[in-house]
Amino acid sequence: MSLASAIRTGDLAELPSRRDEDWRWTDLRGLIRQLPAPSAPLASGALAVGPFDALASRRELIANGQGPAILQIEGEQVLALRIVSQGEGAHAAAIRIQVAPGAKLTLLESYEGEGAYLAQTSLTFTISSGAEVERIVLADEAEDAVTVSEAQVELAPGARFGQAVLAGGARRQRLETRLKHPGGHAEVRMDGAYLLAGKRHCDLTTEVTHGAVDGTTSELIKGVVRDQSRGVFQGRIVVAEGADRTDARMGHHALILDDRAEVDAKPELLIFADDVSCAHGNTVGALDEEALFYMRQRGIPEAEARALLIEAFVGEVVDRITHEGAQDVARAWLAAKLGG
Amino acid sequence: MPAVKQTVEHVESLEKYKHGFVTEVAQEFAPKGLNEDIVRFISAKKDEPEWMLEWRLDAYRRWLELEEPTWAKVNFPRIDYQDSYYYAAPKTGEGPKSLDEVDPEILETYKKLGIPLREQEVLAGVTGAPKYAVDAVFDSVSVVTTFKKELAEAGVIFCSMSEAIREHPELVKKYLGTVVPTSDNYYACLNAAVFSDGSFVYVPPGVRCPMELSTYFRINAENSGQFERTLIIADAGAYVSYLEGCTAPMRDENQLHAAVVELVVLDDAEIKYSTVQNWYPGDPETGKGGIYNFVTKRADCRGARSKVSWTQVETGSSVTWKYPSCVLRGDESVGEFYSIAITNGRQQADTGTKMIHLGRNTRSRIISKGISAGKSSNTYRGLVSAHPKAKGARNFTQCDSLLIGKQCAAHTVPYIEARNGQAVFEHEATTTRLSEDQLFYVMQRGLSQEEAVQLLVNGFVKDVLQELPMEFAVEAQKLVAISLEGSVG
Repeated sequence: MSLASAIRTGDLAELPSRRDEDWRWTDLRGLIRQLPAPSAPLASGALAVGPFDALASRRELIANGQGPAILQIEGEQVLALRIVSQGEGAHAAAIRIQVAPGAKLTLLESYEGEGAYLAQTSLTFTISSGAEVERIVLADEAEDAVTVSEAQVELAPGARFGQAVLAGGARRQRLETRLKHPGGHAEVRMDGAYLLAGKRHCDLTTEVTHGAVDGTTSELIKGVVRDQSRGVFQGRIVVAEGADRTDARMGHHALILDDRAEVDAKPELLIFADDVSCAHGNTVGALDEEALFYMRQRGIPEAEARALLIEAFVGEVVDRITHEGAQDVARAWLAAKLGG
Repeated sequence: MPAVKQTVEHVESLEKYKHGFVTEVAQEFAPKGLNEDIVRFISAKKDEPEWMLEWRLDAYRRWLELEEPTWAKVNFPRIDYQDSYYYAAPKTGEGPKSLDEVDPEILETYKKLGIPLREQEVLAGVTGAPKYAVDAVFDSVSVVTTFKKELAEAGVIFCSMSEAIREHPELVKKYLGTVVPTSDNYYACLNAAVFSDGSFVYVPPGVRCPMELSTYFRINAENSGQFERTLIIADAGAYVSYLEGCTAPMRDENQLHAAVVELVVLDDAEIKYSTVQNWYPGDPETGKGGIYNFVTKRADCRGARSKVSWTQVETGSSVTWKYPSCVLRGDESVGEFYSIAITNGRQQADTGTKMIHLGRNTRSRIISKGISAGKSSNTYRGLVSAHPKAKGARNFTQCDSLLIGKQCAAHTVPYIEARNGQAVFEHEATTTRLSEDQLFYVMQRGLSQEEAVQLLVNGFVKDVLQELPMEFAVEAQKLVAISLEGSVG
């Protein structure tokens, strides 16, 4: 059951609904009454440049669901994977990304679009031992779109995986990452931020399953919601039986800037081993009035003080991105979102 | 060195489950199974008015339409609802007029459990010791309620539910089922149809209940379920502290306990509700037997500045599935939840709370300490929500889990829903095992491993123990130790 299978079969009953525990706050079945026709192919020549094109050593495009099915990564690569949707149709794409032993991949993944499209993108990562992947996702979908991006990550022992998802929401936007952590000193960073306004909705869902000893996971999610937007975070850390010496930390912090905005969160820890150190923290609230007051009495105008505080709050996620160019793009995107 | 002596005695007194005995007492049962006739039978047995029977039958019909929920992180074989007795009561003629008419076997049972039913026994204790009134529920019926006279002088009504239906129908009609509606959930609905007894408390406006009230539940009969229903009303400005305890014999089959507790708190009133739950947990090796504890507990803070504090120590039952909740409807109302949940052997617990912020400037606090040992599983599941009108809502949640052993599991599943820009919610959770360093330190000071674990665990749960009334706190501390017996080494 998924948006992709509903698009494929045309069966509305395939859509996940609030009755499915993992979709309780992002109800697609209640939202979509009719499935649109399949999207028409997009001519790639007509597209302007993508946000990460200038940084990349290799560029791949998925336009209305059409694009490569397998990407092989060897050596060191900076790959810009651009996912573009246009029109009022429905489309789904599936891509396998195979990272060879010892390879180093910086994946700069971007989502953009125009129209009221329905789209699902499913990515499957296989990351071999000794390989290193940093995935930066900039999800800037159209306001009327309904989109799901699903990533399955399979990590070999001794590999490294870090991600930062920056999301601007859509009519419904879901970005899901499920990772199998092999332990064996593999390191995982699982960050994200959502910046929402208007009636946009964004759902960041992550699941990290520690299957063996000596694994580390660090997760930091920040959110800012204004107007009538809604942010959802579902984070699950599973430590399987025997996965001792796992160290997993998860934090989700959100700012609600307007009275009618909403944040829903479910940070879960499911622990089946005893020699572990796991923690999560979750805070939701308004901007700290005391900090604001302090800045104002130092002569900073209120609007500017607010902007600074919010930028600093979300900026923590951007600071953890290691690729410098991508960090700059992320920071500029953040500033533009907060300025508007 | 009294402390050392006490520790020695304490460790010696550790047994597997000391409440596992059966009382031989002449009992009366309803026929096995569940249908409308059984509901009528229970109602007739209790001499209930027509409206109560109708209420039950309505609940029974609704229950038939409901589906058994399966979302909790617990596994147990499907319950055959037709293979149980829904009513079991010690045989008496007219019902005891005074304590002297109560079956001596039952009195003996409560004595063995350490529950004083004779007022003079309570009074014979240490001078200045706090008095507390007891309502004793044995299988399906309340056998005795103490200190009724003294409470009546203060205007407090404390009696069994069946008595309240007879004596105070206006209060029962006004409040029963208003906090937990009949078809709230599968087990609450079943309870509404077949509930047999329970406690009823009404504290009139401005009255501070002069003593602690407590109910002691005991399942004794074989193959029977216990479905008690408790209703506590604190009228404007009133205060009451209520304790409940529960035990059951060791049996190979599972028994169902599906209770409903409703608390109504009006303006400026406060209810403190403490539970020490020690139902038979089943055999620690095989997991055979034990109580299924599926309880619905909810407090409705209807009045402004009302307050409810739930404190629970959950050590028993083979499967526990309960979430004492607070609906914070009144402006500036306060909800608190302090919980210790311990699972050992093959026990499973899925427990936590719900804090539903509806009024302005409502506040809540959740402190949950879960300990899992053996092959058990322990889940904290909680909901904190602020509705659009709950401006200024504030919550702080701390839930910590401690793991002892390689085969146990500890889960934390909090749900946080903030629907306005002026709510502030903070949540933190940790899961760790008992610190090797601390264990080593305590052991090199001369404590055995078992004692060291007890000491550290008691430190871990201290924040919650402090919330319990004094006498309960001492008992709970011992219970924590007993529950973890055999979990190390």
